Amino acid sequence: MSRHFASFAVMVALVAVMAGAVVSGALVGHAADPIPIGVSVAQTGPVALAGQEQVLGAQIAEEYFNKHGGVNGRPIKLVFQDGGSDEPTAINAFQNLINVAKVVGIMGPSLSQQAFAADPFAVRAKVPVIGPSNTAKGIPQIGEFVSRVSSPVAIVAPNAVKAAMEINKNLKKVAVLYAQNDAFNKSETETFQQTVKDLKLDLATVQTFQTTDTDFTAQVTNVLNVNPDLVIISGLQVDGANLVKQLRDLGYKGLIVGGNGVNTAAIFPICKAKCDGILIAQAYSPAYKSKINDEFKSVYKDKQKKDPPQFSAQAFAGIQVFVEALRALDKKSPLAKMDLATLRVELNKQLIAGTYDTPLGEISFSTGPGMGGEIVQKQAYVAQIKMEPDGTKGTFVFVK
Amino acid sequence: MNGRLFLQQVLNGLAIGSVYAIFALGYTLIFSVLRIINFTHGAIFTLGAYATYALTGSQFGINGLLAGATLPVRLPFVLALLGGSLVSAVSGVIVERLAFRPLRTRGADPLLTLVSSLGVAVALVNVTQYLFGAEPYSFPDPLSELPSAVNFGTAGQPVLVRTVQVVIFGVSIVMLVLLTYLMNATRTGKALRAVAEDTTTSSLLGIDTDRLILLTFVISGFLGGVTGTLIGLSVGIAGPYFGIAFGLKGLAVIVLGGLGDIPGAVVGGLVIGLAEAFVPAQYIAYREAVPFALLFLVLLVRPQGLLGRAQVQKV
Repeated sequence: MSRHFASFAVMVALVAVMAGAVVSGALVGHAADPIPIGVSVAQTGPVALAGQEQVLGAQIAEEYFNKHGGVNGRPIKLVFQDGGSDEPTAINAFQNLINVAKVVGIMGPSLSQQAFAADPFAVRAKVPVIGPSNTAKGIPQIGEFVSRVSSPVAIVAPNAVKAAMEINKNLKKVAVLYAQNDAFNKSETETFQQTVKDLKLDLATVQTFQTTDTDFTAQVTNVLNVNPDLVIISGLQVDGANLVKQLRDLGYKGLIVGGNGVNTAAIFPICKAKCDGILIAQAYSPAYKSKINDEFKSVYKDKQKKDPPQFSAQAFAGIQVFVEALRALDKKSPLAKMDLATLRVELNKQLIAGTYDTPLGEISFSTGPGMGGEIVQKQAYVAQIKMEPDGTKGTFVFVK
Repeated sequence: MNGRLFLQQVLNGLAIGSVYAIFALGYTLIFSVLRIINFTHGAIFTLGAYATYALTGSQFGINGLLAGATLPVRLPFVLALLGGSLVSAVSGVIVERLAFRPLRTRGADPLLTLVSSLGVAVALVNVTQYLFGAEPYSFPDPLSELPSAVNFGTAGQPVLVRTVQVVIFGVSIVMLVLLTYLMNATRTGKALRAVAEDTTTSSLLGIDTDRLILLTFVISGFLGGVTGTLIGLSVGIAGPYFGIAFGLKGLAVIVLGGLGDIPGAVVGGLVIGLAEAFVPAQYIAYREAVPFALLFLVLLVRPQGLLGRAQVQKV
């Protein structure tokens, strides 16, 4: 009997050990293991320029928050998976992060149209996503696990047109150009065109182009024919900057408002001195005074010898939201005791509920049925580009 | 459409078309000799632009392996252009040795060569991104002393074309003349045409075919470098993928002009440029479809392209 009992006890013990192993496998590692957060932005392809700025912002955040105690003593670890500049690559990257790297949440992808394709996979797997630069209409509406730290164009863009009207009080005729093969720019131009109508300005012509175009003489000819006082451009960096350059080369002298796509110093090498004067509504300003922005700016400047661009600041803020939400959640119920699926769901609820003091200013999220967190950003900025006469250097000067 | 606008659109078309033409020249040269499409041309074109940028003593940006690097030399633009184009020519040689010759000596199917060139193109683009990062660059402007546009109209009725476009148009015509001269009036050109006609026979006649094929890659690479730099001068070096965007359009241009026909490449480029320029403003989204629609129509009527010779099938 006692021998039978002994073998029974051994079997029970074995089963218990195996079950324990299975259960602890589902937990998010041991208490000291770093917490994996996925980052999937455009490290390759035409959008790689923005993606590389985002990688840098995320890396600075990882270093910064780990130095400041991580998640209540437990470090975070960013798992980078190239999201490319197209939809299939972004979807692959998301699936890899969700199923193979088993991250607690994902920051990405870089483009709005990639978000429309890849985010539904995260929603189905119940993994929280933070869009660092997805500003098109309808992003948080993709599903309750999709939030963003990038202010939608509908809120940011009108400020730049108003700033242009302040500079030129007689402003009347407006020409609008936009990249029609990009979801974000199509969404942005709708906002701009609506703003023009709302402000009782004359929308004299609307011209389209592709983000892959390099020659804009046809569009510029059509714009110059209506003799506008203001040109509004919604495009990405290279096409947007070339368009500005060709407008100026062919004699346009009026004001130019650029959308979010040209909101980077990366346009300077293309349009050089001709970038001067472009007005841009911004979601981030290096000039914004706060402790966290000063610290972020100084680390960025040490590495890159220039002020941080919006893409880097938003990526930093995205990681910050994850870290601070994880900290708050861990205080309520220790993360090490949660299995991955529960942690992902709880993290999503926590991050939408929080308020965060980021380099972008104070941000929080609004939400509704079936949607994730839509950013509510306290501060709004408009900048005007000032170039040195030789076109080698430029700065964003904040006008409001 | 009034006369001024018409003239403006014609000049716009010629300006865009000359960019396509200048790109297609290097492409068509390889085709005329080897009867293969060299997909590495776009990557070599990009590399040439980066090399010229380096030789002007300009600094590389923040993202690549060479972040912050500058060469100790600071050449004037024209010398840097020649140097950058030589780098492209050398890359052409390396590509020929790595991607084309091994397959040719084994008598591989031309389709395999096409795939091999595509592979090398992808590798080259990625090496470029690894070295120089993804950010755009532009050259110190050698035309900065000149006005930014040339007026072909009157002061009251201006018809403006950007100066750099006028330069590109001029260079593409000069390149066309030089290449035509090389192919039709020199011994090397005759030998090249013999190789194009039949590699085996020309080799039996004492022509060093391998050397001539290598020469073709040198010339094509050099032209790629010149072209990359000039287009970079016009629109900036838009990143490592910059040349790839011209590849597909370049293909349409050489098929339209007549595969392997050198004046055909220029005519094809200008025709496509003009067709694009005359797309009405409200249909500009369909502009990309124009070259291919035009190609389709021309091929229905003239399968050999605009200037190409009909291939006689020997049975």
